[in-house]
Amino acid sequence: MTEARAITQGRSRLPEWAITGVSVAVLIVAWVVATDGGFVDDLFMPSPSSLWSGFMDLVVDGYKSRTIWEHAGLSLERVLAGFVTGAIAGTVIGLAMGYNRVVEACFSPFVEFLRPLPQLAYLVLLIVWFGIGETAQIILLFLTAFPVSAIAAMDGVKSVSRQRVQVARSLGASDWQIFRFVVFPSALPEIFTGARLAIGVVYATLIAAEIIAGSTGLGWVILDAGRFLRSDYVFVGILAIGLMGLSLDYMLVAIEHRIVHWAGRY
Amino acid sequence: MAEQAAGGMNRRTLVKTVVLSGAALTAGLPARALLAAGKAPETVRVSFFLETKPTMIAKGEGWFDKLSGSKCAWTEAGSGAEINAAFAGKSVDIGLAIGSSPTASGISQRLPYELVGMVDNIGPAEEMVVRKVANIKSVADFKGKKVATPFGSTSHFRLLGFLKVNNLTQKDVTVLDMKPDAEVAAWTRGDIDAVYVWSPAKAKMLEAGGELFTTYKDLDAKGYVIADLIVAGTEFSKAYPDALTGFLVAYRNALKMWQTSPDEAAAIVGKQAGVSAEVAKHDMEEYDFVPFEKQLTAEWLGPPGKAGKFADVLKRTADFLVEQKSIKSAPDLSAFQAATNTTFLAQAVKAAG
Repeated sequence: MTEARAITQGRSRLPEWAITGVSVAVLIVAWVVATDGGFVDDLFMPSPSSLWSGFMDLVVDGYKSRTIWEHAGLSLERVLAGFVTGAIAGTVIGLAMGYNRVVEACFSPFVEFLRPLPQLAYLVLLIVWFGIGETAQIILLFLTAFPVSAIAAMDGVKSVSRQRVQVARSLGASDWQIFRFVVFPSALPEIFTGARLAIGVVYATLIAAEIIAGSTGLGWVILDAGRFLRSDYVFVGILAIGLMGLSLDYMLVAIEHRIVHWAGRY
Repeated sequence: MAEQAAGGMNRRTLVKTVVLSGAALTAGLPARALLAAGKAPETVRVSFFLETKPTMIAKGEGWFDKLSGSKCAWTEAGSGAEINAAFAGKSVDIGLAIGSSPTASGISQRLPYELVGMVDNIGPAEEMVVRKVANIKSVADFKGKKVATPFGSTSHFRLLGFLKVNNLTQKDVTVLDMKPDAEVAAWTRGDIDAVYVWSPAKAKMLEAGGELFTTYKDLDAKGYVIADLIVAGTEFSKAYPDALTGFLVAYRNALKMWQTSPDEAAAIVGKQAGVSAEVAKHDMEEYDFVPFEKQLTAEWLGPPGKAGKFADVLKRTADFLVEQKSIKSAPDLSAFQAATNTTFLAQAVKAAG
């Protein structure tokens, strides 16, 4: 018993980053051994060297008449356009839904219906309605971000304690003042959580959006390379898309820390 | 203490079981293959396309099951790429009507399958459809236009061949990657000027203000031949040659039915594919269903042990795919010849007499 504790304590003295580093290093070593050792076919898992040459290939020559930066840039534009519009519209509607039961009754069936709907289900409809340009793709991403943000904002408003609202009211605050100075700030932490969830699902929907009329974007590159079992390009694409998603998430967290630095501390 | 001992025992038993079953599996597999040679497997896993072709007769009437002596487990594929992925994952035995360009890429990537027969020579069945109002009369008129095709397909291969032969680049023409149903949707809105695709999408767009821009004759002559093929897993064809031969005989019988009583054939195919008999008949008339005897000549797959000209087509296709950076590298012609195995096709002809 005491021995076991000593061991775990001893382990916990290693800083987390070192543990993360070791776990990543172990994975990389296993990967090198499995691929360069010839245990796994290149088709299933490219070796580090073929991944590197695939990466350089994409950087130098690009993929199917566009550079990899153009593909990444187009994907980023789509994600941001869909996310920003969807999160803003969703937050506004969500706040209203949380604040007013008439608004909630009006919108909640649509929001609830839209949220779990798989995007591929209405892909062809989007093409029929909005064509094959950027519009259809951004609308698809908008529709993904919207319900997630709306529900988060609504829950945020609903979780504001009654006492705070009552105190403000008894001090003579108007409805608008209560919303502006009590409800909205209290809902902000949940709105940010909703935003992080939303960018996650928007990111996950990117491939579906880029199927619409492909030939551009990281999502399409992964899809197209996958068709020819080009696992080196697929892996490079996945790494790129993953790192991009991670940095977007970090950015949101940084903004969150600045704006709602008091979250969880009051 | 007691618990620990029990834990240790369990673990030992577990290890023993794993080792034993592992040994049984590795020892069992080749034995099963040897014993079973000539016999029929319980199930044959077939990946196929739902389409208007005589293959659907043999499927619908249960001839494939009957003549292979097994139960066929059918999985519908959305593209040749999916069939390739299934072979890479060893979850399919026969790929029915996989296109020649995915086959060329599969052989180049050393997928464990061989080419055992042809369903059809595609010919005019996949062709360019242009919107009448786009006013495309000559090759030069394609500049600045939007052309859609499902990437990775035989149509895509032909379209890229068309651009190359006519010195057009993908900067002159916007080539869009769209699935057939999406093409029809975009066509209805007027978002695309031309498509390279097969029916039913092709037929729908011809009805909705489209006209043919014939490219196949020129392209076939220049070596951009496209075909639909039958591939079989090498392990499967070694273990069950008779079942594979029976499978081919079933398709041969279906072809015969299409040739001798086309109306009856079209009715069955239409029912299987969910279209009217007239549509099925019209679709099938566009394909060149090369008879088995002809497939066995040097013109196509060649007699057993002596691969015909089609291996050259596959080699050219693979080289083109390398040029397009779709696949890393293409092997020598000999690899494509080695991957062509017409033993079963010849057996099927003999068996049917």
